Amino acid sequence: MLKRIPIFWKLSFAFFAIILLVLALCSLFDRCGEALLGEIQFIIITIFVSLILSCGASWVIVRSLIKQPIQKLARSMNRLTEDDSDVYLGEDEKDEFSLLISSFNEMASKLAKSQKELRNNKDFLEGILESTADIIITVNPDGKILTVNSGAEKTLGYSRTEVISKPIEMFFANPRDRQHALAQLEILDNVVNFKTKFVKKDGQIRDVLLTISRLRNRAGEIIATIGISKDITREKQLQTQLIQSQRFAAIGQVFTGLQHSMKNMLNACKGGAYMIRLGLRKDDRKMFEEGWEITSEGIDRLTDMSLDMLKYVKEWKPNLKRVDLSKTLSEIHRLIEKTAKDRGVNCKIRLLPDLPGVECDARMIHTAVMDITSNALDACDWKDYPENESPEVIIGAFADEYDQEFVIEIEDNGCGMTEEVKANIFTPFFSTKSKIGTGLGLSITSRMIEIHDGRINVESVPDIGTRFRIVLPINCLNGIKEKTNGEKSPDNR
Amino acid sequence: MAKKVLIIDDDVNTVKFLSVALEENGYEPLGAYDGKEGMEKITTESPDLIILDVMMPKKTGFALFKSLRRSEEYKNLPVIMLTGVAETLEDLDSQSESTFERPYDSLREKLRVTIKSLKEDGLVKPDMFIDKPIDPEEVVAKIAGIIGK
Repeated sequence: MLKRIPIFWKLSFAFFAIILLVLALCSLFDRCGEALLGEIQFIIITIFVSLILSCGASWVIVRSLIKQPIQKLARSMNRLTEDDSDVYLGEDEKDEFSLLISSFNEMASKLAKSQKELRNNKDFLEGILESTADIIITVNPDGKILTVNSGAEKTLGYSRTEVISKPIEMFFANPRDRQHALAQLEILDNVVNFKTKFVKKDGQIRDVLLTISRLRNRAGEIIATIGISKDITREKQLQTQLIQSQRFAAIGQVFTGLQHSMKNMLNACKGGAYMIRLGLRKDDRKMFEEGWEITSEGIDRLTDMSLDMLKYVKEWKPNLKRVDLSKTLSEIHRLIEKTAKDRGVNCKIRLLPDLPGVECDARMIHTAVMDITSNALDACDWKDYPENESPEVIIGAFADEYDQEFVIEIEDNGCGMTEEVKANIFTPFFSTKSKIGTGLGLSITSRMIEIHDGRINVESVPDIGTRFRIVLPINCLNGIKEKTNGEKSPDNR
Repeated sequence: MAKKVLIIDDDVNTVKFLSVALEENGYEPLGAYDGKEGMEKITTESPDLIILDVMMPKKTGFALFKSLRRSEEYKNLPVIMLTGVAETLEDLDSQSESTFERPYDSLREKLRVTIKSLKEDGLVKPDMFIDKPIDPEEVVAKIAGIIGK
């Protein structure tokens, strides 16, 4: 009940009680004192005693009701400022001090909650900084190191104490790199993935990708620069190894293919040379001439291969004109028909009437179709035909229904190809018939078609046959111009 | 009587200069230009040794070789195989792996598989592999080593 009375009433009640006590004492002295002392003495003593009692009572009241709660509050506030959030004051009474304490407790509780959140966030952020393997370093505006994370310690081999307050340039293999990065930072908000090299404590060089940002205070002033660097030394080594191995593989592939093609040509040279030698020794002119013929054949094939290699690597500049490809195909058929017949192959041509003209280099298309057709004849040679089937090659052409594409088909019922062979036929020096050709025929053909913005589709079934389909855009002039004119092509810039 | 050597290769020149070299050394050379013709010549001429190319039209060298080894009559007929990938067969029984994929690795793999299947079938593998470009005199010397003069 008493706890609910406000402090003002408590004090008033205390003073009233003291006055009553003094009055009671006065009346007691009045009755007993007058008999013993004079009236003046009695008054003085009464006043004196009353004053002493009043002071004593006041001291007790002030100490217990005001000073102690205020000291308690002050101590608690000190604890709060000393980062002790676990402060709670007991609310024994419901006077003004109790209200103050209650407010204090509420404030302390909120503060404790905020501090806890702050600590959690701090731990979380520090956890990120510390657990990452990346190098995270902050630098003050004077270029001195403020903080380094454990990733930096591990990667660079320095401890924090060794580097704090040291110039950041100590980490750069070339200190000018930092100046370049900062110059970029003046223009951009962030410098992302700046390639540079850091030096470890033991002198080892690490390749890193550095991302730098400015840290600003609320007023927008730069307080630090934060650099996050990723050590890419291992990746770079692997990348270099990969490029090297790919280069070796590519060179190896070309060398192997080249050697395979050359073997058969050299075989002719070697065999022919043997016959020449024998012809000379035996004075046999016929043998000498036969040997010379075989050797010449080998030399011719080597020459062809050398020219084809040049052709393959040269810059292609098609001479574009609108051409009636029906005539080109008929000419090819006329040229090849007799050879085909001699080899027992029936070569036919099937052209649809009124075919549109195609913007192309007629010579290139002629070469491409000739190459595929002679491959078709070879495919017939390689097949052992059953009695009810005879070798056949058909050259055909048609345009698509919208007159956008011109399609040339070369079909044979020869030996066909396996999926594996089919997948490799356009690879330079991949050849299944190394005794003829240069191993580059179809590679060159495919480039000739590609340069026209066209494509070659191949369908083949072993022992059934093969169909090559050359698809050319009827109006491809612009596309080709862009492709062949290196200066204008954005890709070649 | 001269020993008969049948050369089966679709390369006319190889057949020609090998025939000259064989004739020069006292053998009777015979020529065939694809697997099918080769098989016919084997049955009609009964050669003492065959020089067989691997890559050939109509019937590949290996197909012909297998059918020979499977037949009772010709299973012991000496065969020298001409192949442009003979060097790859040198490590046929070894476990070495190529570092890079080469265009002829697939061919090598095929040869590997073929030889392996020959072994599994209990067939005897070719007596010899000779790589191109071939030296006619060297071939003759090797033939002499197998069947004598």
